Amino acid sequence: MTLFTKRLCSACQEIKNSFDLEALGIKVEELGPDNPDALAHLAWHELVEDAQKNLPILVLNDSSAITDMLEIKNLLMRLSRKKK
Amino acid sequence: MGSVLKLKKDSSSETTDMALFVHRSDEALDSWNRERIVEALIRETCIDHDTARAISKEVEEIIMASGISTITAPLIRELVDAKLIERGLERARKMHTRLGVPLFDVDQMITHPNKENANVPHGPEATNLTLAESIKKEYALLNVFSREVGEAHMHGTIHLHDLGFIDRPYCSGQSLEYLKKFGLNLPNSLAMAKPAKHPEVLLAHMVKFGAALQSNFAGAIGWDAVNLFFAPYLVGMTDREMKQLAQMLIFEFSQQAVARGGQAIFTDINLYWEVPKHFADVPAIGPGGEYTGKTYAEYEKEAQRFVWQLFEVFKEGDGAGRPFFFPKPLVHITDKFFQTPGHLSFLNHICDVAAEKGNTYFVFDRGDTAKISECCRLSFKLERSDLEDAKEPWRMRYSAIQNVTLNLPRLSFMAKRDDTRLFDKIADIMELAVRAHLEKRSFIERLLSHEESGPLTLLNMDTDGTPYLRLNRSTYLIGMVGLNELTQYHTGEEMHESTEATRFGLKVIAHMKLLADHFSRRFGMRFVLEQTPAESTAHRFARLDLTYYPDEASQVVKGNPAQGEVYYTNSTLYNVSAPMNPIHRVKYEGRFHPLIEAGALTHIWLGEARPSAPSLANFVIKTFNRTKNDQIAFSPEFTCCNDCGKLDRGIHDRCTYCKSRNVDGITRITGYFTRISSWNKGKLGELKDRYRNHEYL
Repeated sequence: MTLFTKRLCSACQEIKNSFDLEALGIKVEELGPDNPDALAHLAWHELVEDAQKNLPILVLNDSSAITDMLEIKNLLMRLSRKKK
Repeated sequence: MGSVLKLKKDSSSETTDMALFVHRSDEALDSWNRERIVEALIRETCIDHDTARAISKEVEEIIMASGISTITAPLIRELVDAKLIERGLERARKMHTRLGVPLFDVDQMITHPNKENANVPHGPEATNLTLAESIKKEYALLNVFSREVGEAHMHGTIHLHDLGFIDRPYCSGQSLEYLKKFGLNLPNSLAMAKPAKHPEVLLAHMVKFGAALQSNFAGAIGWDAVNLFFAPYLVGMTDREMKQLAQMLIFEFSQQAVARGGQAIFTDINLYWEVPKHFADVPAIGPGGEYTGKTYAEYEKEAQRFVWQLFEVFKEGDGAGRPFFFPKPLVHITDKFFQTPGHLSFLNHICDVAAEKGNTYFVFDRGDTAKISECCRLSFKLERSDLEDAKEPWRMRYSAIQNVTLNLPRLSFMAKRDDTRLFDKIADIMELAVRAHLEKRSFIERLLSHEESGPLTLLNMDTDGTPYLRLNRSTYLIGMVGLNELTQYHTGEEMHESTEATRFGLKVIAHMKLLADHFSRRFGMRFVLEQTPAESTAHRFARLDLTYYPDEASQVVKGNPAQGEVYYTNSTLYNVSAPMNPIHRVKYEGRFHPLIEAGALTHIWLGEARPSAPSLANFVIKTFNRTKNDQIAFSPEFTCCNDCGKLDRGIHDRCTYCKSRNVDGITRITGYFTRISSWNKGKLGELKDRYRNHEYL
């Protein structure tokens, strides 16, 4: 799974602060002017326009994406509980 | 200075006594005067008088000693230039350069068609255009662009488009509202016309203004929401009357091969079934330039009836049943489209035209996206401030100032399969492209600064309080050719061959996009990526790389090198010969499109196939819902008999009806239909390679 974030995004920061993403097997990709890899990865998942409106975006292993903050949080909470 | 100088020499005379006659450009004879060389040197190069005088004497001696009886003015200039070089005065030599065309080239231009641009016919006007272009190209490279930019173009690392039109911006998009509100009042025109009161007059204004714009822009002229903005003039018209108007519009633009250089005006008409959200509440302008008291939302029915009739005409084709080459109809497919009653039957109607004649372009504006499309795939995405302008749509005038294309395969050859070096090279060349844009902008600003007495009076007219050309809102295009070959050389695989290759291609374009954004912030200009149509550039780059990088280029170049029919794959497209399911092609190529802000397109080559309208409609709906593709077009092929005039489907070497071999093919070259006989060798090579989607559609 990949979480797309960017700097100065409070919602992204909230997710990063609230969960141990690495432990959940989630790779964080920070979009920014010096990161073509992240942008290319986003384009591969056809999420460039979504990311312009809304971040963070969580891409699941089946390549589906969650763009709603609440849904992302709920999923990560479920995953965290499972982990414990 | 004249072009011919006749020399009469007395064997005993001093050089100063030579009797020389100059045949001046004003068709008068003038006597030889060495001081002319001195005057020209001082006027054009600012070198000192003594040096100029010494050079003039030396040149005179050479002429004297040569024993020739007739000498041309260009030759004298060349001799003077040689003397400047001998003295190390390179800068002065450059300033003293004479721009011109060799006799052989002029003969070729006059007697043979121009193959660089399939939209230039062959005739005296076209020859004038080509000759003027060749001089202006030289001028641009010597006098507008820096040496580094000029050399990069000459060597084929970048391509500066439309150098022959250096003294004008690239393309323009606008709406009819400017004409409806202000009438037709062109600078330098002998008469001004008040706002049109009748639809036929509005059409006449549109055509004339289109021709005027063609003289002030190098490329396409796009019109936004044409059916909607005509609508207030169409109230009460019968379907028959509307079809007549639709016929007039299409024939007027398709038969305008009497304008600049005998070219048809490259015209795009943007069309909507629904009333676009950003125009729905805008007060409508009607006959006489008066507000009608209604909004455009209230003219939906008239707009729909008109667009329907336009496609009736496109379906019938011209007098011989051939597809119209211009105007190009670009139908916007939006979320609102699918909520507007009648959309399915309209979609079937325009898909029927796409299958039958190929005219329809499907432009996808998902979510809140709104844009004006034109040229082969160029579009101006409307930002928040632009949508604010939509309240007064005559303000919506968008222009791209120039297009600079990067030769991507060459960068991979230079990088020698090293990632760091490759991305570094891309950054360097992007910076050079930006420099080319700064230089062009500076030149256009200089021309605009002459205001009414300058060459760009039309672009300076400020009928609505701002100049017609809104330079601060203009874009600067950075295009690309051969992403597929870059990927092939760098990774060993073409983009359709593996996920990794496509992802690498995406990384290259993402890098370019971020660089464009960076330069936009740095210079306060809008640098945006565009899929260059590359009608001749894809061939030119491939040809030059086979010369400069033969080992590397021969591994990836497409086409038939033995026939000289070589090309690189256009922009970010996949290999045209790859036997891909068309919906996969649309989806995979569409992944690049959101990174290419100024427009992208996927072609579906139909060949002889004539798919049903519902199957194409289904394809269009899937494309809208399941991909990020920006624009698609279906391209059938035709054979047109020059003897019996009949049209047949598919490309054949003889007429199916009268068996004549005097036939020509018609299909889409890049972003428009044209006759195949006018194509350059690279495009002919590509045509042979195109994978036709017979079994899928």
